[in-house]
Amino acid sequence: MTNKKILYPPIDPEIDKLAQHHGGTREATLEVLKDLSADHKLNQTTITEAARALHLPAHEAYGMGTFYSMLSLEERRKVLRVCDGPVCWLKRSTVDGGQQTMADEWSSMVNGQWSVERTSCLGLCDRAPAVLVEDEQAGPVEAGEIKKICKGWRGVQTDYSKTRKGEVRVMTALIGKIDPDSIDDALSQGVYEGLKKALLSEPTVVLAEVESSGLQGRGGAGFPVGRKWRFVASEKKTPRYIICNADESEPLIFKDRVLMDTNPHQLLEGITLAGYACGASEAWIYIRGEYEYQARRLERAIEQAEAKNLLGENILGSGFSFKIHVHRGAGAYICGEETALIESLEGKRGEPRLRPPYPPTYGFRGQPTAVNNVESFCAVPHILKNGAEWWRSLTDDSTPGTKVYMVLGHVKNPGLFEAPFGLTLRQIIKDFGGGMTKGSKFKFALCGGAAGTIVDKSLLDIPIGFASSQKGISLGAGSFLICDQTVSPVSFLRELLHFFTVESCGKCTPCRVGTWRSLEILNHMASGQGKQGDTEELKTLAALMQDSSFCGLGQSVSIPMKSMLTHFGAEFAKAER
Amino acid sequence: MINLKINGQSIQSEPGKTILQAAQAHGIEIPTLCYHKDLNPTGNCRMCIVEVKDWRIMQAACVTPVWEGMEIQTHSEKVEIDRKLTLELMLANHPQDCITCDVSGECELQDLAYEYKATAPEWGSKGTRYPVDSDPNPFIRVDMNRCILCRRCVSACAEIQVRDVWGVAKRGFDEVIVAGANTAMLEARCESCGQCVAYCPTGALSNKMNYGMARAHQVTKVTTTCSYCGVGCQFDLLVKKNKVIGVQSNPNAPVNGMALCVKGRYGYDYIHHPERLTKPKVRRYLLEGKKKEEIREQRVVNRKNSPTDPLVSSPWDWVNVEWDIALDIAAKKFMEIRDQFGADSMGFLTSAKCTNEENYLMNKLARQVIGTNNIDHCARL
Repeated sequence: MTNKKILYPPIDPEIDKLAQHHGGTREATLEVLKDLSADHKLNQTTITEAARALHLPAHEAYGMGTFYSMLSLEERRKVLRVCDGPVCWLKRSTVDGGQQTMADEWSSMVNGQWSVERTSCLGLCDRAPAVLVEDEQAGPVEAGEIKKICKGWRGVQTDYSKTRKGEVRVMTALIGKIDPDSIDDALSQGVYEGLKKALLSEPTVVLAEVESSGLQGRGGAGFPVGRKWRFVASEKKTPRYIICNADESEPLIFKDRVLMDTNPHQLLEGITLAGYACGASEAWIYIRGEYEYQARRLERAIEQAEAKNLLGENILGSGFSFKIHVHRGAGAYICGEETALIESLEGKRGEPRLRPPYPPTYGFRGQPTAVNNVESFCAVPHILKNGAEWWRSLTDDSTPGTKVYMVLGHVKNPGLFEAPFGLTLRQIIKDFGGGMTKGSKFKFALCGGAAGTIVDKSLLDIPIGFASSQKGISLGAGSFLICDQTVSPVSFLRELLHFFTVESCGKCTPCRVGTWRSLEILNHMASGQGKQGDTEELKTLAALMQDSSFCGLGQSVSIPMKSMLTHFGAEFAKAER
Repeated sequence: MINLKINGQSIQSEPGKTILQAAQAHGIEIPTLCYHKDLNPTGNCRMCIVEVKDWRIMQAACVTPVWEGMEIQTHSEKVEIDRKLTLELMLANHPQDCITCDVSGECELQDLAYEYKATAPEWGSKGTRYPVDSDPNPFIRVDMNRCILCRRCVSACAEIQVRDVWGVAKRGFDEVIVAGANTAMLEARCESCGQCVAYCPTGALSNKMNYGMARAHQVTKVTTTCSYCGVGCQFDLLVKKNKVIGVQSNPNAPVNGMALCVKGRYGYDYIHHPERLTKPKVRRYLLEGKKKEEIREQRVVNRKNSPTDPLVSSPWDWVNVEWDIALDIAAKKFMEIRDQFGADSMGFLTSAKCTNEENYLMNKLARQVIGTNNIDHCARL
């Protein structure tokens, strides 16, 4: 035994204060690192100090600091993030031929006050080409408009208040009809009525109603929401938690942003109903860091709802208490995977967990947790208000209810709309997208999201639903990027692989190296340096990633690769020479 | 018990076991790389993937639990193709320097590459991304070029040594293993136990002291018990040409398994040290029966006359003698001290390097022969 005590120097008081301000536990790590990064103070020393203040090994904090793309250890000034998602790429390639990225071009144009960076899809596809100015969303911004951006211009918001022909609006019904920042507006339009009604009956009744509605998860997998909640509710362990997955980071998808932006109370109501049905006490909305504007809106809405006793202790005298927190991500597509999201929420690198156990048995903090997409939660109040029968009656399709769709690319009227399931791509383009733009002929479409299927015109008339992916066309999260004859399949696939390579978490070998190698091949092919065997290698890599990647995201990289190669093999063969 | 089929063979397994455990219990081999039986499995490397009937994707055997009626193929064509391809993806960013690598011959990546006839593809960084021997740690040699990101070092440091030095930084293709906040290991609380080296399947982490001295097939391994403290850890001494050149964990060690401390793993250079005491020695003046007071002046004179001449003998010189002579002198001195100052003027400090029996005898010497209770022991690492 030694009596000598090792004397460590005291923790930097400023960082200690910051850590305590955010809760002082490891769950606060991301927030502490984000604050340090925003103050341009993120470096090895401050990370080590933050780790000490949060009782973490230094490598954990450093691992996080270098994992999330919005954090930077490099010295930077005010940050301008230029989206290089496929939609923005498509918009710009028509301008400058896609030779130079806008981030490159802008870097040379801005004055010393700004740092220009590329970023993966910002979720502003309806405002493409988009940029993020510090934490303000802007778009559409053409290459020449940088000066305006630096002066504070932010482009135009897309207006969805007008209903398109053929739309059935449920979740989007109040767009433009209410001030999203006013709870009185929301109340006057019937928001929270589902909750008021539900609180009069037992949680089991609420759960049964959601189950019998047949609501399927809107994140892309289509898992029955009621069944998931049943798993959580039947777990003996308490507390149970609800997590709302608002980490909408997949290119082409922006519906959750619109839903949160236009009617935040609808989401809060849905989450609260989930909490009531599952016997949960707390919920977290994990919102991607790029949606700061929406995060603040949600925070305001939570405050208003608490003031009206629609959230908080003993809601409306029912004896049910429920809290909702907003947690911001910091730039990582992988955090949309539910177990990676939970890891991130717990203050770790956003890497997927082993499954099983699944979140309903072992989720956030090891407790039973229901993780659902924003849109899934938004549907719930309407089901409780109008009944499961009504929800089923909205459609003739086998999948009940409506879905929020997005149509993008070379259509006259891109944007967002709500309709029942079972639409065909032809309907989406013609009836909702207003047809192809002038001079454009349909060549292919990316369906679902970036990890969706690529289809040619042979699949235009297949009704799209959760099961249609077996026929080669997927619904995913409901986005459709329509490309005309000017878009090169090789370059397009390269853009997708660029995204997957940048966003791969690196945990497993097939995805970590497979995406990188695929991108390398595609870069060669797209720049006219392809060689024989490239297509074959791409196929092999796609098969490997599909079969043996650790998580769903790695596995799904193969979907656009395989379908693109199936439909446009000839163009790839041409690029081999 | 759970009934399942592996490669058509019906086997039974306890519930809760993984596919890998069930297979190994029945002598069916599944290749692994990031898996180690001492560490929590992570399922990162995807070498142990197997085909499970009716499952769309392959399952990692090291982390997937068995279930009733499961039908598994461990070496189907599809599985073998994917394993080979995964290996090639690793080799693409691994230096092709097995010919000079220290761990060649006991490298798990090399063994698997050999088994699957996997060679490095034309593309890739080939291990040129990081500086070689990048950490100043005196015992552990770090070469991240050879790292295949299996993360065993991270688990070993966190789970066995509980020092949490190693971690994962960055993401995707840029992912890299770092110590602390990307600092030197010693700055990141490393205590140089070398557990990470023991668990590293490649040459990314190796031993600095014997780097380049011998490879696995050139050494004889002699299992022995550590002589530093009372825990009784076992390990293998690596012996080349009758010289101990290193220490290696022996996974079958009953007390410690693969774990060792810095002394056990790296404190072996005393064995062949030129200054190591191997024979009894006494001071010349004691041999000549003189007293300290008598020779004090003489020493000063000798030093003045010929300060550097080795031939001029000093009464302080150490002289090699027989055991009996040395022991007699020591015994005589002990008696003198006891008689003059009393038994409690003496204290006995014995060693963890001694056996139980030797320590018992030391205890007898102190209490019975000398007559004091002043006896203690150094086993307080």
